Amino acid sequence: MSLLKVERVHKSYNGLQVLKNVSLDVQAGERHVLIGPNGAGKTTLFHCMTGTLPIDEGVVTVNGRQISGLPPYTAVRVGMARTFQKNNLFDNLTVEENLHLAIAACKPYRFHFFKPFYKYTDLLEEAEQLLKQWDLWERRACVVNQLSYGEQRLLELLLALASKPRLLLLDEPTSGMSPAETAQTTRLMQSMPRSITLLVIEHDMDVVFSIADRITVLHHGEVFLSGAPEEIRGDERVKEIYFGGGAPLYAEA
Amino acid sequence: MVTSSLLMHILNGLAYGMLLFMIAAGLSIIFGLMNVVNLAHGAFYLAGVYIAYSLVARHMGFWPSLLVSVAVVAILGVLVEKWLLERVYGRELEQVLLTFGLSFIFADLVEWIWGSSPLTLPVPEALDVSLNVGGMMFPAYRIFVILVGCLLAVLLWYIESKTRIGAIIRAGVDDREMLSALGININVVFTCMFAVGAALAGLSGVLGGPIMGMYVGIDAEILVSSLVIVVVGGLGTWKGAFIGAIVIGVVDTLGRVWFPSFTMAMVFLIMIAVLLMKPNGLFGRGAAA
Amino acid sequence: MKKETVALHVAFVAATMLLPLILTSYGLKLTSEVLIIAMFVMSLGLIIGFAGLVSLGHAAFFGIGAYTVALISEHVDNTWLLLIAAVVTAGIVAFLSGLMFIRSSGAYFLMITLAFGQMLYAIAYKMEGVTGGADGKAVSESFNLGFGAIESRLAFYYVAAAAFLACYYLLRVFLSSPLGKGVRGIKENESRMTALGYNTHLYKLTVYSLSGMMAGFAGALYAYFNQYISPDLLHWMFSGQALIMVIVGGVGTLLGPAIGAGFFVILQNYISSYTERWPIIMGLLFVCLVLYGRGGVIHLASLVWSHLQSKRRTGREKSVLPKEGSGFESLKG
Repeated sequence: MSLLKVERVHKSYNGLQVLKNVSLDVQAGERHVLIGPNGAGKTTLFHCMTGTLPIDEGVVTVNGRQISGLPPYTAVRVGMARTFQKNNLFDNLTVEENLHLAIAACKPYRFHFFKPFYKYTDLLEEAEQLLKQWDLWERRACVVNQLSYGEQRLLELLLALASKPRLLLLDEPTSGMSPAETAQTTRLMQSMPRSITLLVIEHDMDVVFSIADRITVLHHGEVFLSGAPEEIRGDERVKEIYFGGGAPLYAEA
Repeated sequence: MVTSSLLMHILNGLAYGMLLFMIAAGLSIIFGLMNVVNLAHGAFYLAGVYIAYSLVARHMGFWPSLLVSVAVVAILGVLVEKWLLERVYGRELEQVLLTFGLSFIFADLVEWIWGSSPLTLPVPEALDVSLNVGGMMFPAYRIFVILVGCLLAVLLWYIESKTRIGAIIRAGVDDREMLSALGININVVFTCMFAVGAALAGLSGVLGGPIMGMYVGIDAEILVSSLVIVVVGGLGTWKGAFIGAIVIGVVDTLGRVWFPSFTMAMVFLIMIAVLLMKPNGLFGRGAAA
Repeated sequence: MKKETVALHVAFVAATMLLPLILTSYGLKLTSEVLIIAMFVMSLGLIIGFAGLVSLGHAAFFGIGAYTVALISEHVDNTWLLLIAAVVTAGIVAFLSGLMFIRSSGAYFLMITLAFGQMLYAIAYKMEGVTGGADGKAVSESFNLGFGAIESRLAFYYVAAAAFLACYYLLRVFLSSPLGKGVRGIKENESRMTALGYNTHLYKLTVYSLSGMMAGFAGALYAYFNQYISPDLLHWMFSGQALIMVIVGGVGTLLGPAIGAGFFVILQNYISSYTERWPIIMGLLFVCLVLYGRGGVIHLASLVWSHLQSKRRTGREKSVLPKEGSGFESLKG
C-alpha cells in the first residue's frame, strides 16, 4: 500500500524550473532514499511535500488524503514529520523545552491557556521516555547552544519523532557529522520500527545503501530513475550524473 | 461643472501626490538599500519648510531660500547618517527607535523655535497666477509642482536605469553584500543616498509650504502617508513610489472633499487591499513581508 | 511552586496593597496612573517580548478602550458593562486588524501598525461631532462597581492595583500554559513551529487579540481615572513611548515593561513640572538608549532612579531592575 504519493509536481522559483513533472510513490514501511547532485531539487521537493512551498501543479497525497494546497502545519496532522538539512531548533531553549513543544504540538490541549505546562504530566512523561531512549536525558537541561553538533542533529531528529509520525522525511540526517556519528545515526535509522516509513535525502553512499529499500535519483528537477538499490548501483548513467562532470553550477535550491 | 470640479480635485491630488512622491522616493530607497525605516523622514520635510519660511521672511526670495533650505536639510541628513545611524546599521529595531527619537526632537525643536500656530509660505511671485484648465482657473504654482514631480520622476528613472550609480543602487537593494564584493564603498553610497533622500524630503517641504502650510503634526501626517506609499508601491523602487504617491495623493485629496473624517481610513484601506493581494507591494521585488 | 516563590508573590501583593500607607495624595494619583499605564505597556511587552511582534500602533487599543467608555458612558452608566464593552471592542478590533497584519513581519508589521494607529487618531481627531475632535471629551460618569461610587484617590488606587495584579497574574498563567509556550516557541523559531504542526498565525493572532484586550482594559480604566480623553491617547507618540518603556524595562520579561512604565511616567511628571519640552527629552532618551546599548541603559536608568529617589519620594519602594540580556537581540525574529 502506498503511503505517500507525489503526482506530476511542478515547481518554478524565480523563473527557474526546479521541479519538472516529479512523481514518487512511497510504500508504507519502506526506506526510500532520494539522491541526486546538488541543485537537483531534493530539498525543494521536501518543501513542496510539506506545503512549506506551494506547488504550481500536481498533487501530493498521504495515506489517500490530499495535502498539497493545505497550509504547512497540517502535514503533521496526516502523520508526516520532517527534519531540516541545517539544524532548525529552538536555540535559546533547553533540550527538554524543545521536546515539550514538539510533543505538545499534537496534543488536543495545545490551545489551552489556563493551566501551566508542567501540570500536563503525560507530556512530561513522554518527553522523559524519549530523552532516555535517545541518550539525551543527561543533557535535558542544556540550552541547545551548548550541545555538540552531533547532539543537535540528534535533537533535530527527535523533534520530528515526537509527533509519532507514520512518514518521516529526513533531509540529510548525517550532514556535517563525524564518521562515528554518521555510523550511529545510520544504526538509529536502521533500528526504527517499520511502522515508521522513511523518506531520506542522503549524499553519503554508504549510508544510502545500508538503509535503502528503494532509491530515487533526482536530476535537474526530474525523476531520473527509481528502483531497488542494486539497480541503481549498477546503473552507469547514475554514476555519470553523480560522479561525472555533469554537476550543475547552481547551488541546492 | 461637476466634471471640472472633479478635475480640479484630481489636479490638487496630483500636486499633493508629487509632494508625497518626493518624500516616499527617498524613504523607499533608504529602506530598500539600507534597510532603515526612517521615521525621521517627516522631520526633514518639517526642517525644509520651516527653514525656507525663516529665509523668505528675511526677504531672501523664494528660489534662493529653496536652494539654501534643501542644502541645509541635505547636510542635516549627512550628519544624522554619519553621527548616529552609521553606528547601528544591521540592527533594524534600534534604527527605528533612533529615527523615532530624532523625529520627536526635530518636531519639538521646530515648535520651540517657530511656535505652534500654523504658518504658510507665500507662493513665489512669478507663479502667483491662475491658469485656465478645462474652463476652471487653477493655481499655476500647483501645476508647477506637478511638473517638478514628473521631471524628478523622469530624472530618477533615468539615474536608476541608465547610470552606474543607478546600477549600484539596484544591486544594493537586491543584495547588499554584493556591493562590498564589487569593491564599492558602501558607507559612501549610504551617506549619499541618505543625503539625497533628506534633500528630497526638504524639497518637498519647501514646495509644499505654499500649498499645505506648516504646522506641528504635519510631519507625522506626511510620514504616515509616505510609509503607506512605500508599502503600497513596494520597497526600493522609485516607480512604486511614484505610482503609489499618485494613488494616495488623489485618494487623500478626494477623501478630504467627500469624507473628511475618513480620509486616512480610505488611504489605509487601499494599503490593506494591496497588501492582501500583493504582500510585497505593487512593484516590490524579492520576498519581504 | 517553591516556598520562596510563594513568599515573594505574597510580599509583592502585600507591598502593592500597603503602598498607600506611605504615599501622599499626589503620590497615590501618580501611582494609580503608573499602574494603569503599566498594564498597557505590559500588554505591548507581551507581543514584543514573547511573540516578536513589534508594533508602533499599540496606543490604538488603549485609545479604543478609553473612547468606548467615554462615548458609551453618555448613554449607559453601569461600570461593569462599560469595562466589558471596552475590552470586547478593543479585542474585536485587535482580532480583525491582526487578521490582516499578522501575515507581515518585521519592518512591515511596524509600518502597518503605525499607519493603523494614525488612521484611528485621524478619525478621532476629525469626527468632532462624535469624539469631540482635538478637544477630546470629558468623562463625567463615576466609577461604580456596585459598592457605591469610587471617587477618592485611595479607593481608585485600590481599583488600579487590583486590576494591575489581576492582569499580571493572568499573563503569568497565560505564558506558562501550552498556548503561551507555543507563542514563545514561535518567537524563537517560527519555521520549526510550523513544521512541528503549529498553526503559528492562529497563535500570533490569539496573543495579539489578548494584548489588544488588555490595552483596551487599561484604556478604559484610564478614561475613568483621567476623566478626560483626547486623540493623543491614540497617537503614535504614545505608542512610541510605550515601546520605549518596554525596552527600558526589559524585553522578554513580564514585570520589566511595568517597571519601564513606572520609570517613564514618573520621569515625565517630574520633567513636565520644569519644562514643556518633554518630547525633546524623550527623543534624547531614545537616542541615548540606542547608542549606549543595553547594559548602559539599565545602568543609566538606575542612576537616574537613585537620583530621583534622593530628590523626592517617588512612592515606589523597590526598584527591580530588569535582567541582563533582555535587550534587542531577543527582539529579532
